[in-house]
Amino acid sequence: MAKTILAVDDSGSLRQMVAFSLKAAGYQVIEAVDGQDGLEKAKNQVVDLVLTDQNMPRMDGLTLIKSLRALSTYQRVPILMLTTESSDDMKAKGRAAGANGWLVKPFDPQKLTEVVKKVIG
Amino acid sequence: MSKKQMLGSRVKELLAGVSDHGVDHLVEVETDLVQTTLLLAEAIEKLGASFLDLHSSITVQEEHIREIISDGKVPQESVDKLAQIQADIALHINRAVTSLQFQDLTSQLISRTVQRSAGLRELLSTLDVGNDIPHDGGTEEIAGVLSEITERLQRQSIELKSLLRKTVNQQHLDSGDIELF
Repeated sequence: MAKTILAVDDSGSLRQMVAFSLKAAGYQVIEAVDGQDGLEKAKNQVVDLVLTDQNMPRMDGLTLIKSLRALSTYQRVPILMLTTESSDDMKAKGRAAGANGWLVKPFDPQKLTEVVKKVIG
Repeated sequence: MSKKQMLGSRVKELLAGVSDHGVDHLVEVETDLVQTTLLLAEAIEKLGASFLDLHSSITVQEEHIREIISDGKVPQESVDKLAQIQADIALHINRAVTSLQFQDLTSQLISRTVQRSAGLRELLSTLDVGNDIPHDGGTEEIAGVLSEITERLQRQSIELKSLLRKTVNQQHLDSGDIELF
């Protein structure tokens, strides 16, 4: 069965490219338009990996990660940040919140799928 | 009108002018940026849809080519050439996916610029002192009001800076770094 990835980003074009790349690699993709939407969708269906943006309306990526890590079902699910932010300070905050990796936009689809494969197989 | 009276009026006039002209121009800047955002949003929607359609067509074409090749009648030289073309297409698709992320980056930058412009408009309205400077105000009185305005400007400028953290530092659309913790 295909593994499921939750892609959280407020940019429709970015979600489209993430979904395109991951579906082509055989993954199932659920899209969420911001952190709040992502949290609700994550609660409805436990996914194999969460890929989230940082700067979004309603709920940002770091808050989403903290909220997910507070749920027993998401304590071990890998969470990767995919964001324009690249400062060491933000990366440290992401790591402290419970992120397992940091990808700086724009992404290369081949590199993205390689990382996802490395993390969830 | 005495020189003293003239100075108060002139200072008021100058500050109101800077404020009014500045606000007018910034409103135009914001209107243009909003229009740019809308055009870029429409462009990316159309580009995204065309890209996906194009990819679907290429996938169908590649399947058809595979079927044609499978009967073994196509010369090896042509098979190799087709394989090379397929590899090139895959490379172009990868590059297109990376480039099609431009709107996410540019919209963040434009949004920050619009917020800065709106903040600057508010800041400029600080210069419109109204009746703070009396027509017959003396040099000391005018200097006092100007120094209050300077302080207000500095305070608001610092506030504005703190609200507008830069989230996009990319100068090119090359793929970004990846780090696993």
